[in-house]
Amino acid sequence: MLTVLFYIGLLLLFFGAVAPAIFFRGGKNQRRLSLALMAISASLLFVFASDVIYENQEVSMTVYRILPSFYFSFFIDRLSAFFILTISVVSFGVAIYSTQYIEYHKNDIRNNILVFLMGLFILSMLLVVSSANTFSFLFFWETMSLTSFLLVMFAYENEETRKAGIFYFIMTQLSGVFLFTGFFMLYLSSGSFDISAASIDPAIMAPVFLCLFLGFSIKAGVVPFHKWLPYAHPASPSNISALMSGVMIKVAVYGLMRFVIFVLEPQLWWGVLILVAGTLSAILGIIYAMKEHDIKRLLAFSSIENIGIIMIGFGLYIIFSLNNLEDLAMLSLLGALFHTLNHAIFKSLLFLTAGSVVNATGIRNIEYMGGLIHRMPKTALLFFIGAASISALPPLNGFVGELLIFQSMMQSHYLTDTLMQVLVIICLAVFALTSALAAACFVKAFGTVFLALPRSQKVEKANEVGMHMLLGPSVLAASCIFLGLSATWLFSKAGYYPQIPDMGVLGAIMAAAFLAIFGIVWVVSSHRTRDVETWRCGIRRGDGWFEYTATGFSQPIMNIFRSVYRTREDYRRTFFDRSSVIFRDGRAEIHLLNFFEVYIYLPIAGFISRVAMVMYRLHNGKLDTYLYYTFITIIILLVSMRWLA
Amino acid sequence: MMAAGLIDGWVEALLALVLVTGAFIVSRRDLHSLVFAYTIQSLFLVFIALLLYLAHPSEVLLSIALLTLSSKVLLIPYTIKRIQKQIKISRDVEFHYISPTGSLFVTILLFLFVYYSFSGVIGGLFTADKISYTGAVFGVSLMLMGMLVTFSRKKVITKIIGYLTMENGVLLFGLFLTELPLIIEVLIIIDLIIMVLLVTILAAGMDSTMEEFHNRLHIFRRED
Repeated sequence: MLTVLFYIGLLLLFFGAVAPAIFFRGGKNQRRLSLALMAISASLLFVFASDVIYENQEVSMTVYRILPSFYFSFFIDRLSAFFILTISVVSFGVAIYSTQYIEYHKNDIRNNILVFLMGLFILSMLLVVSSANTFSFLFFWETMSLTSFLLVMFAYENEETRKAGIFYFIMTQLSGVFLFTGFFMLYLSSGSFDISAASIDPAIMAPVFLCLFLGFSIKAGVVPFHKWLPYAHPASPSNISALMSGVMIKVAVYGLMRFVIFVLEPQLWWGVLILVAGTLSAILGIIYAMKEHDIKRLLAFSSIENIGIIMIGFGLYIIFSLNNLEDLAMLSLLGALFHTLNHAIFKSLLFLTAGSVVNATGIRNIEYMGGLIHRMPKTALLFFIGAASISALPPLNGFVGELLIFQSMMQSHYLTDTLMQVLVIICLAVFALTSALAAACFVKAFGTVFLALPRSQKVEKANEVGMHMLLGPSVLAASCIFLGLSATWLFSKAGYYPQIPDMGVLGAIMAAAFLAIFGIVWVVSSHRTRDVETWRCGIRRGDGWFEYTATGFSQPIMNIFRSVYRTREDYRRTFFDRSSVIFRDGRAEIHLLNFFEVYIYLPIAGFISRVAMVMYRLHNGKLDTYLYYTFITIIILLVSMRWLA
Repeated sequence: MMAAGLIDGWVEALLALVLVTGAFIVSRRDLHSLVFAYTIQSLFLVFIALLLYLAHPSEVLLSIALLTLSSKVLLIPYTIKRIQKQIKISRDVEFHYISPTGSLFVTILLFLFVYYSFSGVIGGLFTADKISYTGAVFGVSLMLMGMLVTFSRKKVITKIIGYLTMENGVLLFGLFLTELPLIIEVLIIIDLIIMVLLVTILAAGMDSTMEEFHNRLHIFRRED
């Protein structure tokens, strides 16, 4: 029965995806039908995944055998089902949202291509997490990479998009190369493509782990392999950003978890590596998000931070389980997984609402927004729920996920190794700072986009988006609230009993306290309104610019982290008088150094480019030269034959 | 039936002669001697195949001897001679990467090198049958010598002789070591004949070097 549900879900999704490709001149109604099929498929898969998780079942199936050892087979246990659930929840919201969002572009053929690729993209992600062997895994992984690349390139006319697309393509292929190497080593050692605990030579365990860690980290956007995210997300349509940031990067997390827990035998330094990489990603991700004024770029950096948090949880799981602290290990893993689900939901919610804002205003720079709460109140409320969740405010879901990880870190004194205790405490401190900065970052995002007065004409003319573009995010916002309030109940149903407060009760207490405070303030206040203009230091400019702007809000934090940003400030001022007292005009600029780009990516790219230049010179187009190379190659082969014999 | 020892002796002598003709092809500049050396080399191969047939009677060996005689000793040299008459060049004095004297040294090194490489890999397989091992080494060496000619000479006609020599090397290797199936040998010979025929058709460009020939073709294309 379960298997049938899975198959029907996949088939509906497949038909939903393929229909626009076949009838590629079809109109709006046909696309709506396709997206509706995707939403129904997501609901079926949600039911299927929930059943597998809560009934603790395992489903396995072999679908198609190409050659004796190359075949597509699927195996779904609780871990896979959890990721299927995550993908289905987000896809459901995105599918509803897309019915209206994609119609902003008036080109039928391109919209059909978008729906087709989106369907394939979701399908490939589902099949990656269901794969039972590395052949299926890699096949669907590459399909996922290819479809997402094409989706990023949707607005290929823009120079910026093409640059982002190529950058993403290179990074994703690099990830594929590492995974392929890792899988190949696994195959050589175990003699099978199956993803299961096989007898693997201990000597190759570490190289396999490193390959897989690099491959999955690139895709997940772990620092320093994160640079594709802030390029790809602003370039792609918002519904695709939601899918990529919400679920695709989680598929990489799934891969890492699957192979480290179920296939390899983890060692302590793996846990330390993952923990440190996670902590660095978390703190640097949010520090970089803080300085961003492009709303989608800000969200992309925030995804790096959240992937960092998930990695922290997973790193702790390895460390605790190798120290035989099973309860703490389970707590960390539960935190990591719950945060995976939470981040998928609130980040896609934020991307979708940000997409609504960008569509309504036509700008992405939050510096020029402001006051949108009056123009788009419903979108504002939905964005607020997402921002509150990601800032880990109780009683929402973000709070529970982070609380679980904090709890496990705080109990690190059970570790016997003092050095390890110190490491975990340092990571705890950095993680705490990350959480605080995340809250500041989203206060900035919400405040500068929705509050105060509009700072540009485009914003003044913005209108609330249509029903479907509100309904899709509403589902996700409702999930944030539901997951937060019922977290304790959900955990107990699944058989986990972490020591956290009953979130339902906590929510009720908070609501009561909020109402009480509101009531008291209402009763006590004088109800007089004061209506005055903001003091503008004598300078003539629109009112909006004298409220808190994005730059103004982040400036103190930018000063604190000046050494991280490598900030350089340029001031150019002119004065009316010679003594430089009476100010006439001026311009202030803050330049930030792209550390990873300048010191890591560009040197590597330069080296590859030099090697390519040498190769280019070797290809001089003369037949004799190529024959000469062949001759030399044969000689080298003969030498190696003698040595290898 | 001849005694096996005697046949081995003859085969060894012929192998040495094949190598001498190979060295000749590598180092000579005038085209007539090159074609002559190739013809003689092919003839020696025919004798080798016949001697092997005497030692191990097999129709394949006899067929190879007949095919080689008709194509490589008679047909191909005859066609090349005709081309030579058309293009009116008798010497190839331009070289790439390596001069004929240098080529001779490289040839000696190649032979020693192949012998050394093979001794570690397949030497153990032929403790009893020394002649096959020697034949295989000579075959690969001849193939590499042919290759040396193809990239070190500039004139297309010389390159073709280099290529034909390479094929003789493959045949020699096949005779001794791999039992090259007859059908493949037939196909290769058909390829060779077609190639030589094509060369005859394109003979207008044959008095030039490869690069010049390309340039001429490009000029034609521009005029289109």
